[in-house]
Amino acid sequence: MTALLETRGVWQRFGGLVANSDVSISVGRGEIVGLIGPNGAGKSTLFNLIAGVLPPTQGSIWFDGQDVTNLPAAERCQRGVGRTFQVVKSFETMTVVDNVIVGALVRNTVMRVARRKAYEVLEFTGLAARADVLASDLVPAEKRRLEVARALATEPKLLLLDEVLTGLTPTEAQTGVALVRKVRDAGITVLMVEHVMEIVMPLVDRAIVLDLGKVLVEGKPADVVRDPKVIKAYLGDRHAVGA
Amino acid sequence: MDKNFAARRRRDLIIAAVLTALAASAPLFVKNVYIQNILVLTLMYAALSQSWNILSGYCGQISLGHALYFGIGAYTTELLFTKFGVLPWFGMLAGGGIAAVIAMGLGYPFFRLRGHYFVIATIVIAEIGLLLFQNWEWAGAALGITIDVRGDSWLKFQFMRSKLPYFYFALALCCLAWFVTWWLEDSKWGFWWRAVKDNPEAAESLGVVVFNSKMGAAAVSAFLVAIGGAFYAQFLAYIDPESVMGFQFSLLMALPAVLGGIGTLWGPVLGAAILIPMTELTRSYIGGSGRGVDLIVYGTLIVAISLALPQGLVSLFARSKAKGATR
Repeated sequence: MTALLETRGVWQRFGGLVANSDVSISVGRGEIVGLIGPNGAGKSTLFNLIAGVLPPTQGSIWFDGQDVTNLPAAERCQRGVGRTFQVVKSFETMTVVDNVIVGALVRNTVMRVARRKAYEVLEFTGLAARADVLASDLVPAEKRRLEVARALATEPKLLLLDEVLTGLTPTEAQTGVALVRKVRDAGITVLMVEHVMEIVMPLVDRAIVLDLGKVLVEGKPADVVRDPKVIKAYLGDRHAVGA
Repeated sequence: MDKNFAARRRRDLIIAAVLTALAASAPLFVKNVYIQNILVLTLMYAALSQSWNILSGYCGQISLGHALYFGIGAYTTELLFTKFGVLPWFGMLAGGGIAAVIAMGLGYPFFRLRGHYFVIATIVIAEIGLLLFQNWEWAGAALGITIDVRGDSWLKFQFMRSKLPYFYFALALCCLAWFVTWWLEDSKWGFWWRAVKDNPEAAESLGVVVFNSKMGAAAVSAFLVAIGGAFYAQFLAYIDPESVMGFQFSLLMALPAVLGGIGTLWGPVLGAAILIPMTELTRSYIGGSGRGVDLIVYGTLIVAISLALPQGLVSLFARSKAKGATR
């Protein structure tokens, strides 16, 4: 079976800055893949290219066997790409359940059905008790969760998670991890950008390390963390020699 | 789970029905033509503001050029009537249709603009429309069009003696604009618009085609405002560019919604119910002698409300309701 998501030789330049150079990655169905790398490695750019926020300067992006390189974000969502934002973008003047309904409306045009779907997703993500609260009144961890809930309501095949576990307390992060597992068990493929190595490594099936806009290493998490190139990218030369 | 929600919507409908019944019986008690006139204007501005609120309140695209659509409704109706003998009822719908098409035509370039630039564009376009009509000979140019009123007729929607037919039409229009808003609030479009207003990028990521949503809001909003314009033209029986397309209309559509609560179901009605009578009364009682005093009073009230209740007057009700809900 073909991969669910594939980027083929993707480049992204912003003026003189090359954010992604010749990035080719693939994500198989049912996988949890971690996209990691030091600051400025080009993770967020690649993420936005996959979500359709902007088209790549060069190269192509394939989703579910089709070329989606030039499709705008809304259409990618309709095709089955769901995403969260690193800096949360809740609809602040709307209630939690209304936020999720917006997502549910992609697949269900009847309001009653969309609303029921939204409540199901809130139940699934553990936000049901907060359904009628304004999104602006949520605490940061809940806002992250709302991002996930909203994306799940669009019934994605691929869920893109942009640092949903970063900046949480250890307990909050563990609930987050449990949620990601639950999402995968529901049959949804996950591609996650993450900073916190010790949380993300046990969670993912495969890790792709970006550095300076290029794919540095990719493989099983256990192998990736021991790879001298990765250690060098994160910690510098001295530590890599020891490894 | 969604019982509260359904109950709230039902309650809104009931309140609206009661208010409509009260308003409809007002002429039984109010015989003074001057007061009746104020009531007609209040209902009309409530309807206009409610329509404006669809694009600017719910969808968040602040327009200060809705006078253009108001004028288009007025001119389409009167040109069709005086030049071709088309009854105002059809002219009204034609005006609405033309306004909706123009709103989308303008939206095509302008919805790519953001924030202040969009507002400025709407002001400029409405001014251009005003200038065009002032110089369009066939449409009466600056002299305007006088409508030949011959007796009372529902067919021609013109009445010489009584204001009451106008009153009931304005009430019906107000109900229509309110009901359209009520219905849209719990529809795909309503949700999309609020999402677009709050965060277009997030909306896009959830499959909302932001551009199309704005176009839809603009069309509905312009259509309803143009119907209001057609009504106003019939009501005055005389139109010229300044009296149906002047900038003050753009402001008087925006202000009730802003004062009452922008992007809310009840804001425009509440705002208009306070603002329009006050404008008219201050103008007639203190406007004549000390020129501009009415405007000072008016401006002071706006400043006071926006400082004390930035969410609008409806937040007074919402606040007590929210407290009740959490207990």
